[in-house]
Amino acid sequence: MNTTSTTLEPALEFLARTLTTAEAAFNKLPGSAVIQRYVKSSHQNDPGRTILELILLIFAIRTLLQSRTRADKNYISFSDKEVDELVDEWTPEPLGQALSPQEQADLAAVPVISGPNGPRPKIASTGKTAVNLASFNFTGLSGSEEIKERAVEILRKYGLGSCGPPGFYGTLDVHMQLERDIADFLGTEASILYSQGFSTISSVIPAFCKRGDIIVADRGVNFAIQKGIQISRSTVRWFDHNDLKSLEEVLESVEKERKKRRGPLTRRFIVTEGVFEKDGAMVDLPKLIDIKFKHKYRLVLDESISFGTVGRTGRGLTELYNVPASKVDMLVGSVANGLNSCGGFCAGSQIVVNHQRINGLSFVFSASMPALLSVAASEGINILRNTPSILATLHENIQVTHAILDRVDCISIPSHPASPIIHIYIKNSKSSLHPSAAITMPVSNKPSNPTSILPKDAASWDWDIPTEEKLLQDVVDEALAQGVLVTKARRLRGQEMVEARPSIRLALTSALTKKETEKAVNVVKHALVKVLGKRR
Amino acid sequence: MSSTPQPSSPMALSKPSFLRKRKSQSLATTMPSAASYLSALSQADARARSHHHPHVRSPSSTPALSISSSLTASSDETAFNEDDDNTDGLSLPARPPTSEQVFSTVHTEFGHCADGRYRLTSAHVAGTEVPAHVEHDPPYYILFSTYISYLILICLGHVRDFVGKRFYPSAYTHLIPKDGYAPLNSDFDSFYTRRLKTRLDECFSQPTTGVAGRTIVLLDRASPDYNHTQYFTGNRTRALNISSYNYLGFAQARGGCADAVEESIKRYGISTCGTRLAGGTSDLHSIGEALVAKFVGMEDALISSMGFATNSTFIPALVGKGCLVISDELNHASIRFGVRLSGANVRMFKHNDMKSLESLLREVISQGQPKTHRPWKKILLIVEGLYSMEGTMVNLPAVMELKKKYKFYLFVDEAHSIGALGPNGRGVADYFGINPRSIDILMGTFTKSFGAAGGYIAGNKQLIDRMRLHGHAGAYAESMTPAVLTQVIASMASIMGLALPPMLPSSSATTLRLSSANSTSMEEEYSHPGPVPPTALPSWLTLPPALASGAEGSNRLRRLAFNSRYLHNGLDKLGFITYGHPSSPIVPLLLFNPGKMNMFHRMMKDRQTPIVVVVVAYPATPLVTSRVRFCVSAAHTKEDVDTVLRACDEIGDILDLKHGVKKSERWGVDEICERAVEIAGM
Ligand SMILES: Cc1ncc(COP(=O)(O)O)c(C=O)c1O
Repeated sequence: MNTTSTTLEPALEFLARTLTTAEAAFNKLPGSAVIQRYVKSSHQNDPGRTILELILLIFAIRTLLQSRTRADKNYISFSDKEVDELVDEWTPEPLGQALSPQEQADLAAVPVISGPNGPRPKIASTGKTAVNLASFNFTGLSGSEEIKERAVEILRKYGLGSCGPPGFYGTLDVHMQLERDIADFLGTEASILYSQGFSTISSVIPAFCKRGDIIVADRGVNFAIQKGIQISRSTVRWFDHNDLKSLEEVLESVEKERKKRRGPLTRRFIVTEGVFEKDGAMVDLPKLIDIKFKHKYRLVLDESISFGTVGRTGRGLTELYNVPASKVDMLVGSVANGLNSCGGFCAGSQIVVNHQRINGLSFVFSASMPALLSVAASEGINILRNTPSILATLHENIQVTHAILDRVDCISIPSHPASPIIHIYIKNSKSSLHPSAAITMPVSNKPSNPTSILPKDAASWDWDIPTEEKLLQDVVDEALAQGVLVTKARRLRGQEMVEARPSIRLALTSALTKKETEKAVNVVKHALVKVLGKRR
Repeated sequence: MSSTPQPSSPMALSKPSFLRKRKSQSLATTMPSAASYLSALSQADARARSHHHPHVRSPSSTPALSISSSLTASSDETAFNEDDDNTDGLSLPARPPTSEQVFSTVHTEFGHCADGRYRLTSAHVAGTEVPAHVEHDPPYYILFSTYISYLILICLGHVRDFVGKRFYPSAYTHLIPKDGYAPLNSDFDSFYTRRLKTRLDECFSQPTTGVAGRTIVLLDRASPDYNHTQYFTGNRTRALNISSYNYLGFAQARGGCADAVEESIKRYGISTCGTRLAGGTSDLHSIGEALVAKFVGMEDALISSMGFATNSTFIPALVGKGCLVISDELNHASIRFGVRLSGANVRMFKHNDMKSLESLLREVISQGQPKTHRPWKKILLIVEGLYSMEGTMVNLPAVMELKKKYKFYLFVDEAHSIGALGPNGRGVADYFGINPRSIDILMGTFTKSFGAAGGYIAGNKQLIDRMRLHGHAGAYAESMTPAVLTQVIASMASIMGLALPPMLPSSSATTLRLSSANSTSMEEEYSHPGPVPPTALPSWLTLPPALASGAEGSNRLRRLAFNSRYLHNGLDKLGFITYGHPSSPIVPLLLFNPGKMNMFHRMMKDRQTPIVVVVVAYPATPLVTSRVRFCVSAAHTKEDVDTVLRACDEIGDILDLKHGVKKSERWGVDEICERAVEIAGM
């Protein structure tokens, strides 16, 4: 070995020197670090591609060098002294503006629960208990003594944290068990666990959808999906909220566009939600599946709200509509919402799941979830499987709620009768209906522009967000004073792609009996009537 | 770096003399349980110590503390009768404890080490340079063969694809368009995974069970078909775990923290049911956040249920269009995710290179925004405290200098450094003795040093309140569960230690009850980085004395500091090429050739004392610098590090890995083990 290395030394040294010089020269180019970084971390982790990109890059640099004058037009060269002066002059904005009085009030209104959460938690600010129609405890698993006991047992075997990402000794047998349990429960080949429900779909979408791929998404998708789409850099087309006819139109227009351009076949996805977080509307799954097969799209379905709450045993929309879950390509759900633990999952075929084990960003780069939370979720599935009465109670409570609220005429309810969350809008005095159901409004027949997320009737939206938010907060306060905890739907105003209409979001639970629910919803009703009645 | 001899045995529970006599009698007579046995031993131990070192006052002795419920009956059994046999040398300590030493941990979870010499303080020596990130180059033949290996792998892969597609088309159906569907994963895109990573699959995603502590139990796998499928053999292997991010050894199923977690599950249940802003905030969140703020020395802090999401959901609330993010080129995926969502412009600088950073700063400030040349609204520099693949520590003193001049805001991701660095475990700022409040945002995770999950972001109150409302997590992400919060609170409090109430009535001396009475007077008493006022903890939380006094926490910090430096310097002395700061608990050892990764991994695992390691390669590292990454822990004993060094020494010879120093300058492994204290202090 040594002799070969000595004989080769000069040649290699020369090679190395040339390389270093080249590298140094490259590094001197403005922005080279970005390019370097881009090449290294280009979304497809593939050396072949990197090499290809390198060639492209060299080509790009050459072009840049040739058109030096043009590239430099924007670059102003300064002397060191001038730079120093500019640095001295520059004053940055403050990192975070102070909260406005309204924002402060919003923050102060956040309920803090003292002790365990459940159907009747103690509110820290008042020290009194309240009936809870705000927290996500749909199937009442948070109070289960069985689950607590199992969790303690697991704590004594596994400790708490897993101290590593799944790739590096963070995959525990209990994680694999929960993945299997979820897959069996839904009837898919496999599933994969993420350690936060919210981050799940934001990672699932970019794991599959790359630049050049096509995503057709509902205009009403939740914030996490919006972020996933943003990260994916795919081409997005939007269809009207929960309107499958609009979906078909968009799919057809996409196909027409592709034919016209004679573009290659790319991956195409429909992204939508089972029960929409935004308003509780529910998608017509059988029809959606038909459309997806007809147009040869893959379906990414976010069941974060519907998993664990909809269907006879809580398997979600696939159970409700009796559609095999294997027909949904990527079925995303929340272990946190549906099973009262933490984390999220994506169920699908073995190929879909294995792909994410390497490409799901928040799967690969984050520690796996604590063992006891994973087992708590497995226990939750067991309980749901074996006690359909839990779901029956929940559904009864939903019915009762609708029965009471449907008769209140200062509000409108966009949520589906089977949705475990019920949104309450203030009925506007002028246009008296929710936009998507606005039959009285003259709606132009022109389809909306699929490249924009803004619905076609957005211009005619006449609700005033601050006023409505304020009214709704009054309702929330009034209800709490009467011993019922409800909450406004919290939004990230200014950051959402479409501003959602202010609403109160009830989350029902099977931990309350029908009677109790009835009583609590009546309190909400009175609060609504009292506050909104005053308005006129 | 200084090594102060520690007179106390680390895990021993010690008590002042005025309590000792009375208590030992009463306990020993009334409680014929293992706990009383423990306490008796501990007192004997304490007595012996004060006898031997009458002039040294043990820092861990605190008045009014005594044996608590930290050891349940069942844990005593595990602590003393390990049921595994000890052929792998992992279940029982190499040196059995003497009757004077009492350990309250399970040896397989947290190693017994009473030798006060094996302790160091993690701190920057004032006036010295922060070591820059140097990339040692291996001999040319290594570089050459590495490139050749990749070339062969790539060629072979393409040949196999070419042949395979023609003769076994069924194996490629998922890679080619079918029925009008584009493949989920084109063969070009998945080439790396299929043709390179599959060969290494036995090193990745190894399923385990039990606690990821000092040792870990592997569920053995085998593959009949070159890693295309793997099945479980049904056997289990206990291995020395030098891979988990368990820096302070808080991954434990026994002990004060686990007891606290059990109590919290009983009191709070599993979940807080919802998002922080809409019905999912518990009083434990408020307590946890206040404690984290104290721990890191900031005004306020916000907790999020996932470390990755802490970056990806809060960075967009800090910067947006018209802002510039300057990011170290090796920053974590979560940071890049967050920055991309924020819509801010991004520029990278060379890893931890302050010159590159300064010239970039001069350029971007003078040029302003692209095209318009408007001045940037704000510039945010994002760096990590400790880089997880390189072990480099950010050159914080230099960054602070630049910050003064260039007025950018500073965001430090302390995922790996919080708890692991600094004399008080408070992260890089503590390590360098820099006031944390001169940094704008400190972010970190609980998955590593605290044995929990999730992350935090800390800063001034105004900023944090803004994040509560405008960060994505508050409105939409599930909040942290009570069990995890309790683990965070308990482990953090035991690192900080509890400030003693000014006067404690002697009647309450049996257990340390932490009541929330007279909280206002206690609130002001916190001075960073001091002990935490007991009123800052939930009233039902009791910590065993060793944890409450901070003795255990301080011991863990000092054991970690010793282990880190010992392993790092030991490997250097053996002749390996390592990266990173010598005080970093992350120690990467360079392998270069891709073929050696598998071999190294397998050879470590197949030893008499199995050792599990993490090997990382492209794309997590540059193509040539494949490496194995050790993460040392306070749970490791000095003998464990010896074991690792000996294993590396043997395997390093076989695999030709020692290219760091000339043969004549290398040390023998026996000498290294013998002169461990000296080596660690270098
Ligand atoms: C720098 C950095 N930030 C964030 C994270 C994510 O933390 P978690 O595993 O808690 O999601 C990691 C973990 O690997 C990290 O190294």
